[in-house]
Amino acid sequence: MATVLTAIELTKHFGDVTAVDGLSFDLEVGSVTGFLGPNGAGKTTTLRMLLGLARPSSGRALVLGRPYVELPRPAAHVGAMLEAADLHPRRTGLDHLRVLAAVAAVPRSRVDEVLALVELSGAARRQAATYSLGMRQRLGLAAALLGDPELLILDEPANGLDPAGVRWLRDFLRAFASEGRTVFVSSHHLAEIAQTVDRAVIIDRGRLVADAPLDQLTDRGAAGLEDVFLELTSAGQA
Amino acid sequence: MSGQLRSELLKLRTTRTIALLLAAAAALAAFGACVEGLSRTVIELGGENSQRTMLSGGTVGVFFATLAGLLAVTSEFRYGTIRPTLLFEPRRRVVLAAKVVAAALTGVVFGAVCSALSFAAGLALLSVRGADLAVTGPHAAALALGPMVAAALSAVLGVAIGALIRNQAGAIVALAAYAFVVDAALFGAVPAAGRFLPGKAGDAIAGRADESLLAPGLAAVVLLAWTLAFAVAATVRNDRSDV
Repeated sequence: MATVLTAIELTKHFGDVTAVDGLSFDLEVGSVTGFLGPNGAGKTTTLRMLLGLARPSSGRALVLGRPYVELPRPAAHVGAMLEAADLHPRRTGLDHLRVLAAVAAVPRSRVDEVLALVELSGAARRQAATYSLGMRQRLGLAAALLGDPELLILDEPANGLDPAGVRWLRDFLRAFASEGRTVFVSSHHLAEIAQTVDRAVIIDRGRLVADAPLDQLTDRGAAGLEDVFLELTSAGQA
Repeated sequence: MSGQLRSELLKLRTTRTIALLLAAAAALAAFGACVEGLSRTVIELGGENSQRTMLSGGTVGVFFATLAGLLAVTSEFRYGTIRPTLLFEPRRRVVLAAKVVAAALTGVVFGAVCSALSFAAGLALLSVRGADLAVTGPHAAALALGPMVAAALSAVLGVAIGALIRNQAGAIVALAAYAFVVDAALFGAVPAAGRFLPGKAGDAIAGRADESLLAPGLAAVVLLAWTLAFAVAATVRNDRSDV
């Protein structure tokens, strides 16, 4: 299988704290991979390094064969949303997307398309300050989809979604991958992840503890993944 | 670059911050001209220096343009929009350069609007009070055009200060402390040195009547040097820091 993303010995120190410690893994084309770990395990820091927002202390990350910062028109290849979509409270959802569309060189019609896709067309002209957490997440997803990317990187996208929203997201991600595109999604909602992903990368205290297809990690469904997760990570240790 | 610049200009137009700052600056510029034009006797008002002071409302635009540039950057850090910005354009120097150009254009508008309102109010008052315009050509040109140059450079300086400090409240406090305390105190104590400060260089470019200030041309070189120095420092910080 072809690889769309490679982390090679990624390491990040913040002062004396090692947030990410020699982390290596690959993402295969067309897969939905869950990125799991307890709070503070280093998931968001890892994603920020993959996306060029934070500089690794050592190691490197390649997206489509090169560092993210060297991708020409990155939005056309990679769509990303970090935890709690970053919005200016006084800017409307529509304007948030127009600002990004200008950089991605996508037409206004694409802005309307992604707004309709995440079911935010009706609220698009309201200031982001009036949005619920679920609406902010959906706007962040719309931004990630603007450039029609082949790889989606999402940090806790199900946060704040209602049950219908969670199901919608799951179906969307499965459909996205079925088109031969790739999803990397962090979460600590294990039951949800077990129904969505093909593969799980599990980290704890910045280190890789598991990287395997879901059916190898467990053959007993969601409860099984939970057991595996708690066994492998410090979250299960009293 | 052009896409990023359009994006930066769109950012400035899609929140009310810049429009409110411009309205406040314009109102203060006109108000200043009115206070100066009404508080003088008609004889005093006939003198060139008091007329130059009355018509120097463009300097208000220079300060507010600095604030506009500073807010344009620090609001990205305050609300986290710097992350989507850098996800769509990860070349940080391209983003910073687009912000610099957008701020410079914004500064030109601030300088032009403030000097225009200052002139409109001032000339109306001269006419109402029956005094003749006594400002000579070079001084009139400096008062009319200087604020655009000074505000453009100062807005870029604001971008650089914002990119260096990042924290919005901290950057505003630093700018206010500098503009209202350090700049005034140093210039008051040692004018020969204080006139080389960016705030005083901006005043000189904008045509403020004060013999201790630098000549406008030299002041423009001095303010450009300050702006470049801060922009280089901001670029270094911007290249290295995590967001």
